[in-house]
Amino acid sequence: MTAESGGQSRPPARGTPATTVYIGLVAALGIGLTTAAVIVEGLVIDGPLVVLGFLAVLTWWSGRIVVANNVTLTFSSIVLLAAMALLGPAGAGIVGILVGPLQRGKVPLRARVFNTGMSAALGVLGGAAYRAAGGPPDSSNVIGAWEITRQIAIPVFVADLVQVAVNLVLLAGVIRVAGGAPMRHQMLRLLGSTGPAYLGYGAVAFLLVVLWQPADVGPASVALILPPLLVARWAYLQYAEEFKAHERALHVLVAAVEAKAPHLTGHSERVADLSARMAEHLGLRGQVVADTRVAGMLHDLGQTTLPTPLVRGGENTGGDLVRSYPARGAELLRDLSFLSGSLDAISRHREAHLLEGDTEADDLPARIVGLADEYDLLTAVGTPDGAVLEPEDALRTLGGASERRRELVGALEHAIGRTGGLST
Amino acid sequence: MRGRTAGTVRAVRPDRPLAWTVLAVGVLVLGQGVLAGGRELGELITVHEVTVLAFVVAVTVGELVRLRMPSGRDAAPLASASALAVAFLGQIDGEPVFDVPSGFVVLVVAAGLGIAAVVRRVRGGPAGLDQLAARLIGVAVAAVLTRDVGGDGGSLWDLALDPTVPRPLVATSMVVVAAIGLVVEIVLSSAVRAERQRTPWSAALRDETGEVAPLTFAVVTSGPLVALMAPVFGLASLPAALFPLAITYVAVERYARNRMTYRQTIATLSQLTEHGGYTPVAHAERVADLSVRIGRLLGLSDRELRDLEYAALLHDLGQLSLRQPIPGGATVLAAPSDQRDIAVEGARIVRHAEGLETVADYVEAQTTPYRQVRELGEVVPLPSRIIKVANAFDDLTAGRSHPRTSLAAMERIHLGLGYEYDPQVVEALAVATADAMVGRVQEREPAGR
Repeated sequence: MTAESGGQSRPPARGTPATTVYIGLVAALGIGLTTAAVIVEGLVIDGPLVVLGFLAVLTWWSGRIVVANNVTLTFSSIVLLAAMALLGPAGAGIVGILVGPLQRGKVPLRARVFNTGMSAALGVLGGAAYRAAGGPPDSSNVIGAWEITRQIAIPVFVADLVQVAVNLVLLAGVIRVAGGAPMRHQMLRLLGSTGPAYLGYGAVAFLLVVLWQPADVGPASVALILPPLLVARWAYLQYAEEFKAHERALHVLVAAVEAKAPHLTGHSERVADLSARMAEHLGLRGQVVADTRVAGMLHDLGQTTLPTPLVRGGENTGGDLVRSYPARGAELLRDLSFLSGSLDAISRHREAHLLEGDTEADDLPARIVGLADEYDLLTAVGTPDGAVLEPEDALRTLGGASERRRELVGALEHAIGRTGGLST
Repeated sequence: MRGRTAGTVRAVRPDRPLAWTVLAVGVLVLGQGVLAGGRELGELITVHEVTVLAFVVAVTVGELVRLRMPSGRDAAPLASASALAVAFLGQIDGEPVFDVPSGFVVLVVAAGLGIAAVVRRVRGGPAGLDQLAARLIGVAVAAVLTRDVGGDGGSLWDLALDPTVPRPLVATSMVVVAAIGLVVEIVLSSAVRAERQRTPWSAALRDETGEVAPLTFAVVTSGPLVALMAPVFGLASLPAALFPLAITYVAVERYARNRMTYRQTIATLSQLTEHGGYTPVAHAERVADLSVRIGRLLGLSDRELRDLEYAALLHDLGQLSLRQPIPGGATVLAAPSDQRDIAVEGARIVRHAEGLETVADYVEAQTTPYRQVRELGEVVPLPSRIIKVANAFDDLTAGRSHPRTSLAAMERIHLGLGYEYDPQVVEALAVATADAMVGRVQEREPAGR
């Protein structure tokens, strides 16, 4: 959230005139609040303001680290919170204006403008909240665990809450104006994923304030607190990189299947794609959709354990050995805890596909993968002599009597429509 | 993954003089602490009982929640930071000034480390006494630099107590002292590790500083942070000031865990050929294990060791598309051209994943005979030559560790020395397997920091 919020919380790149107006209003609000605070409070350009302003500019460099769509660490919120406590509303507004527009990477101008207005508003309102909660303008003489808790920790926490709240309200506004769907659950999800991080930012900002003023270390306290955070940032970067590498490594498993069965080249990817789209269309939860996609990708892994001539001779040779491959595939992957959600669909996709009638909902992923697999085998892989069916014929062959089956085939039709060409 | 051979017993084997020395110095430091405390010891503990208790608990807990680094090394940043904080501690809001001799600091830290070692031992893990001794010596150095150097009234500790001395100056000095203490610890612990794994010390030190350096960087400021906050925030500074380090801890932990699942994925790939009956069960794991041991002896870097491990796990992947399994899966007995085809096919499959290119290169070059390196100047990466040797050894012994089998296998490998196999690697193999024969090396990565 805040200035460097995750991709999902940014205002849309191409907006309606209404969004433009809204963004303009937010920018005006931020600048206006800051100006008002400067007029009321006066602004002294002193050491702390310069240092925090400089840090605000530096947060541009640190960027934000996103692992699997979760923002894990941003420095700008810490700087902004510390500014609320150390500089008051006017100074924090200025720091907000500095933090807002500076974002690494391709961020549309309107997003930068919106973020500038928002973080300026955050700074002023948070700074005011800090004071209102009993935070003194200068806490140099606050000494003792209890006094520090009362006069610094609690006000920082209140300012932190205000920061989160203002943030949510302004973001909800932009999403509503842009004509998005009712966003309550998205807001809740945002709060759930970044809420704990905000508590952490608050704690670090609190440390910075205590070290800066009561402990009298001054601006040098930044140098003491930064190293652990930089290391955490480094570790998260490594983590993000390896996370991606790991995802790519799964493709080696697919490559192994294709080395074993060259006629299946591309099949796994297509089935994964179809399965995910079908699961989405049937309204399954996000995690289940992801698990179904992986199941689609790895559904043939068990074939690597069969004798090569058998695999290359085509799938319909029959025999217990061939029938056992889905279970063998799941067995191979049993140790990989991050794939546990996909194992069932992998091991039962054949039998679930052959099931007629309505079954309980929890084998839906297996049936999805089974159907997608069968469809792709009919239309793209074809028989050993290369004969393939037209999509319409395949759908007709696959259509069944039960309602569940019709629903699945409906989802399949939808998925094919969305993948573009009918006969890839 | 880890054998349960007692770290304590291994640590004091007479054939590891360095570990012995470090341990002995640690004991001496401890003894000096007791002597220096002398009669006052009981009194000091009574006066500072709350402070002492808080820091002993912090060091113990920090030791028990060790971090396993991606390479398998252990690090205990929270314990290190708490231990250094004890060295710097002076004024504490709500508690008496921590005016104690440096020996007492060592005792407090030793108590925390000792309790943690006992708890770990009771849980069945290795205590890793030599590493603890290294840490204790590092803390002792920091404590002496803080409290003794400069004499009465002129030490860093006295400066910190004087409110007219600018805090940034105090902070900087503390960071420098903390850095010195940590460097001492790192040098000693890498020396002990190098001795245990028989790697060149330079390689161990390079790995240690490479991987642990960022963490050390974080620890260096966290200890002083506690001491600087204590005059105003009391003992609550301990948990508060360690918070940023705790964030680091969580981040590194996730990174390390992800690395582990990554390795699991690779291991799964290596099992494809086993499940298909192409290669004997656990062959790939054994070859990987042996390759890493040889790689360590030859001083490969962490990064190279990891790629070597992955490549060794995947070295037979290419057999997957064979029409007929090789008898016993032993590529060493297959025709050279078949061996090459298998390697090329395996590398082709591995190349499908971005980021595994080096691993694929190692897999591809694993069959090239050493003669081509020597006579034709062909470039074959050392890891590939290691896999070739380790694979041959495992094919010939079929995983049996009986000394006679090992000797027979070594003899056959010696016949191909210089022609098939790199003599330098074979020499390392001899060392690695000699260790295995007397049951010495059972652990992939023994008790660490």
